[in-house]
Amino acid sequence: MTSPTPSLNITGNAIEVRKLTVDYGARRILSNIDLDIPSGKVSVIMGGSGTGKSTLLRCILGLKLPTSGSIHMLGTDITTATTAQLYQLRKQTGVAFQGGALFSSMSVAENIQLALREHTNLDESTIQIMTRIKLDMVDMLHAEHLMPSELSGGMTKRAALARAIIMDPKLLFFDEPSAGLDPSTSAELDELILLLRDSLKMTIVVVTHELESAFKIADQISIMGKGIILATGTPEEIRASADPEVQGLLHRKPRETVVDTEAHLKALVGETS
Amino acid sequence: MQTNITSTASYDLLTLSGEVDLHYSPTLRENILGSLKAGKPLLVDLAQVSYIDSSGIASLVEGFQTAKSAKLGYGLLNVSSPAMQVLTLTRLDKIFALYTSTDQFETALQA
Amino acid sequence: MIKALEKLGTEVLDGLEMAGRTCNLLLLTLWQMLQPPYRFYPIVRQMYFIGARSISLIIISGVTIGMVLGLQFYYILARFGSVNLLGQGVALGVIRELGPVMTALMVVGRAGSAITAELGIMRTTSQIDALECMAISPGKFMVGPKVIAGILSVPLLTHIFDFVALFGGYFVGVVMFSVPEGSYMNGMVDAVQWVDVRLGLVKSLIFGLLVTLICCAQGYYMHLTKAGSQGAEGVSFVTTNAVVLSSIAVLFSDFLIGALLP
Repeated sequence: MTSPTPSLNITGNAIEVRKLTVDYGARRILSNIDLDIPSGKVSVIMGGSGTGKSTLLRCILGLKLPTSGSIHMLGTDITTATTAQLYQLRKQTGVAFQGGALFSSMSVAENIQLALREHTNLDESTIQIMTRIKLDMVDMLHAEHLMPSELSGGMTKRAALARAIIMDPKLLFFDEPSAGLDPSTSAELDELILLLRDSLKMTIVVVTHELESAFKIADQISIMGKGIILATGTPEEIRASADPEVQGLLHRKPRETVVDTEAHLKALVGETS
Repeated sequence: MQTNITSTASYDLLTLSGEVDLHYSPTLRENILGSLKAGKPLLVDLAQVSYIDSSGIASLVEGFQTAKSAKLGYGLLNVSSPAMQVLTLTRLDKIFALYTSTDQFETALQA
Repeated sequence: MIKALEKLGTEVLDGLEMAGRTCNLLLLTLWQMLQPPYRFYPIVRQMYFIGARSISLIIISGVTIGMVLGLQFYYILARFGSVNLLGQGVALGVIRELGPVMTALMVVGRAGSAITAELGIMRTTSQIDALECMAISPGKFMVGPKVIAGILSVPLLTHIFDFVALFGGYFVGVVMFSVPEGSYMNGMVDAVQWVDVRLGLVKSLIFGLLVTLICCAQGYYMHLTKAGSQGAEGVSFVTTNAVVLSSIAVLFSDFLIGALLP
């Protein structure tokens, strides 16, 4: 077998975020964020709730305009791009939303096919086979004709992933892949993410708060604190980080056992006289 | 993507090169089904394929299905490693008949 | 006192902002609908939902309104001894006023609220974001077909309403109160002129646009309002809002059109 050099660019950065600041009214959600997403790698953005990681994702997806700063995706600055440019970029990106965001009036298969029907002139038979190939990849062939309301949480996430990769995007975004899933399903999804990176050379961005899966799949991890990025690096670099907040997140302490029973009781039942 | 068809007495050889993506797979599909509809066995040479997406794979699958129902020989020749990875990912590497030489295919045809 | 003024001020500003967004949605949708590819099937589907599935409601309410109108006009006209004007009264009242207005209000209640709820749910569950991220413009995919279907369906429904209402009036007048059939029918034919039909048509076209557009805008821009962060409760809030606002818009524009067109 011959192996010609892949023509897809797998060096450099797929996304470059520079000095990104987002305000909601007077509240500053993100301040001065710099972030590089390397091509062909799995990058994980991790942080607790309220750290602004969803806002960062919405900005990168062009769903929210930042107060200031720039976001270059595949070479185009999406903060200044025209709608046509933005749509051109979006045909090369796939997004699996946290709640799935499947269109509730369409079956699973129709959800997955929608982008193909809107953007390509492929034959019906090709569309059908492509749909089944993707459904098979996420192990959902049996659910082809189900409606989104009939799916469990894990099935919804897998259907959303199948929909996100139907156009074989260069860039895949996955919001909270393992939230609310049982361990074996979430491990399957993790494996699939790595397969997509290796065989389709996808650049994958995962937003999550799950430590274990993050360290399993990531080539690069960025840890977010309140509106800022505390550290970015390989999993090893993150583990070795000296930043106390990063260490705090890595070694979440179990809640302290009750010491002051009197105070604890008071906290639960309120003041009694 | 570039395609090239060479006909021998017993089968057609379809050579693909470059990137097979959404824009080119309709052409690929026409070529594949064209040969099979003419009643000739088909060997698809994937040695020069640097990238193939699922629409390309879907066309290959449709060809496989058509060949099977028409009882015609159908195989892939010298699958390049990028294409092989996609075949493995989609678990189709076990379904297609893979050949490393045209002689092999001819032998299989006679069998 | 100042608090109350402040509240009034923010309400007015919010209202103006929403009005601006609604116009914005109209322009945006128009622009996107003009871009190829053109798809007709979604429009047909929405016409089925907004139009066809409202027919039974329109027929029932049309007959009832026609009968009520026939009854009241009969009593009033009987006082002046001119029951032979019953046909004129019912026909003009229905074609110029009640037909378009009642049909539009029925569509608000049946289809408008469903439109707002659908778009509101799509907004809160990120389905609209998902469309955007698939490079499918929500204006073209979701809003456009509904608005076009509204503009086409409401006039058609209005004509059905008119027809059955006239029949309802006929039933009360001719069958119940024995008004001479000839005077009812001839009065109708003589009195109704092209301007009356035209007025009804213009009204129903504008109502169709207003109702679907306002209901779409309430759901589509839900995330920009206070209701945006309230999930299901927010959806019910904007749905109520949409029904109230589009009903008011129908009634107010009814007056405006009546004043501008003779």
